[in-house]
Amino acid sequence: MSYSIEIEQLCKQFQLGSIGTQNLRHWLQKAMRRAGGLEAAEKELFWALRDVSFNVKQGEVIGLIGRNGAGKSTLLKIISRISEPSSGKITLNGRVSSLLEVGTGFHPELTGRENIFLNGSILGMTRKEIKSKFDEIVDFSGVEQFLDTPVKRYSSGMYVRLAFSVAAHLEPEILLVDEVLAVGDHEFQKKCLGKMGDISSSGRTIIFVSHNMGAVSELCSRAILFEQGKLITDGTVEQTIAHYIEGSGVNTGGDFEPKPNGKAWFTELELLRENKLVHTLDLNHRCTLRMSFEVAEPTEDLDIAIILMKGTQRVFFSIDRDQLAPSLFNLGKHTFEVHVPEMYLTGGDYHFDLYLRRPSDGSHYDAQTQRVHFNVDELSLNTHHKGYAQKRGGITIFPGEWKKMTD
Amino acid sequence: MNSYLSAMHKTVITQGKAWFDFGLKELYRYRELLWILTWRDLKVRYAQTIVGLLWAIINPLFTLLVLTFVFKTVADVDTGGYPHLLFTLSGMAGWTYFSSVVAGAGGSIISAQQMVTKVYFPRLLLPLSKAVGSLVDLAVVLVILTIMLFWYGHLPSTTIVWLPLFIALAILAGVGIGLWISAMSIRFRDFMYVTPLLLRLGMFITPIAYPVSSVGEKWEQWMYLNPMTGIIEGMRWSILGIHPPGNELWITILVVLVIFASGLFVFNRIERKIADII
Repeated sequence: MSYSIEIEQLCKQFQLGSIGTQNLRHWLQKAMRRAGGLEAAEKELFWALRDVSFNVKQGEVIGLIGRNGAGKSTLLKIISRISEPSSGKITLNGRVSSLLEVGTGFHPELTGRENIFLNGSILGMTRKEIKSKFDEIVDFSGVEQFLDTPVKRYSSGMYVRLAFSVAAHLEPEILLVDEVLAVGDHEFQKKCLGKMGDISSSGRTIIFVSHNMGAVSELCSRAILFEQGKLITDGTVEQTIAHYIEGSGVNTGGDFEPKPNGKAWFTELELLRENKLVHTLDLNHRCTLRMSFEVAEPTEDLDIAIILMKGTQRVFFSIDRDQLAPSLFNLGKHTFEVHVPEMYLTGGDYHFDLYLRRPSDGSHYDAQTQRVHFNVDELSLNTHHKGYAQKRGGITIFPGEWKKMTD
Repeated sequence: MNSYLSAMHKTVITQGKAWFDFGLKELYRYRELLWILTWRDLKVRYAQTIVGLLWAIINPLFTLLVLTFVFKTVADVDTGGYPHLLFTLSGMAGWTYFSSVVAGAGGSIISAQQMVTKVYFPRLLLPLSKAVGSLVDLAVVLVILTIMLFWYGHLPSTTIVWLPLFIALAILAGVGIGLWISAMSIRFRDFMYVTPLLLRLGMFITPIAYPVSSVGEKWEQWMYLNPMTGIIEGMRWSILGIHPPGNELWITILVVLVIFASGLFVFNRIERKIADII
């Protein structure tokens, strides 16, 4: 059997800090100091990919899954030759097109028609190819009335539809797709999924990176899980997704140091689902935050405050016990649990910040920030629940209480 | 299915590449993109302007008037019997082209950042497309020049057959320096600010509005280290037939080839790292 893609011991290293755009003066200063032996060459290395090997058969559709920063996109960039590997080897049999973004090279001043040609050839199509598919592309996008309008006048939806349509009509032997289905409205997403299905059934090889497990399980015959640059699981879609949901228990906050002459401190923080540690939740999973702390001096002046953050900044909600009557905390270990209901948090990255507060003056006995991270994904094994995808408006999900009033 | 596969071509990706591997085959395969990128630049350049392409004429005309004024009235240089306007314009043709290639090619990678980090294509196409696109500016100046020649009752000199040689040298020099600047500015943005400085300086140390002989024998030979000196003198000779090039032409050719080859080499070294650094 011939392989479309053979990947052997691929590694990608980034040098943190010293690589990238610099100021010439800064660079000269550093070079001089290094020459004078004042500063050793700083080499803070980061492995974006580590010893990754796998083969893809011709016609196979593979899903790459994993959390943000796991190395999926880096891998796609290397296969598509945008970035080069640090070591290892990839052999590709066939023409490769990559869709890491839709509308690459689109120019706002040019018309839709002109952009089809521009974008098409940037993606590797010949003029002849574009001409022969032109009508199909326009048809698929549904923007024919605006074909001679500069795309800067397009709505963002039209823009994305046109961009995807060009990309969807590429006919490479190997297609690399990165999360582009997260664009457009529901209707258009469905159309795109269908188009991808068509492409795969015509014997082309597809590598598909997505956070949408519904789409992965619908399209792919095999899935690979990445974690911190390493290939963790390579198997059927069901196996790999199951592995992804289980996670590897990063949310044990096991080794907290007791505070020297502290009065109270956290000893354990865990995010659980059905009594197992988790870091990834589906929309319809409920989870439990379990926190334990030591009290060194019996007190009534103690309260637990929890802040849930989404992304980097926003206080998503906060929980504390100040509506309950103060109670006495005895010497020793205390454990509490807070339940977060299912169908409440929308997709995204979250973390908990926890505080042991002293309500009398508002100071803290202990603060643990950025300790418990998790993300909420749409992991359901079908696209039936697509209506609850990340793009749905609103801050939380609220299913509502429905009642039919007529017969 | 198997026959389908065997017809396909094979790519091997590893770290690094041979220093002499300039990916010419790949470049040829992507030749259509070169035209499309060029066409895009031209199309976009004058979009939303009222007079559009007229700007390609107004700009050089304005420079022409200023230069002529300075070098005719302030420092009356020897123009070999030709009107100052003609003399200056014949020098400006090459310089206009060269400076627009250097500026365009030098910034071509950084201004295409978005594209470079999202899709693969031979990066060399970006600076090259600027060299092709600027030929339009050159053509505009040459057309104005021809009209003026006839206006003043002159015919182009028979040496005009040499013009393509000097245009080719101007392309190589412009692309070479553009490649150097774009390669360096990927890592150090400082070079983006060096470009306009360099071009402004170059405009005065290049004999655009004065003959190179007017700087005096002591300086003349040094002037030829600037490749544009020989190129512009050569273009003037091709068009007007004055000041034929001597042995200095070989210095010019050598300097141009060194600049072009080294620029290509430096660019080629950094090409595959662009997306990681930029």
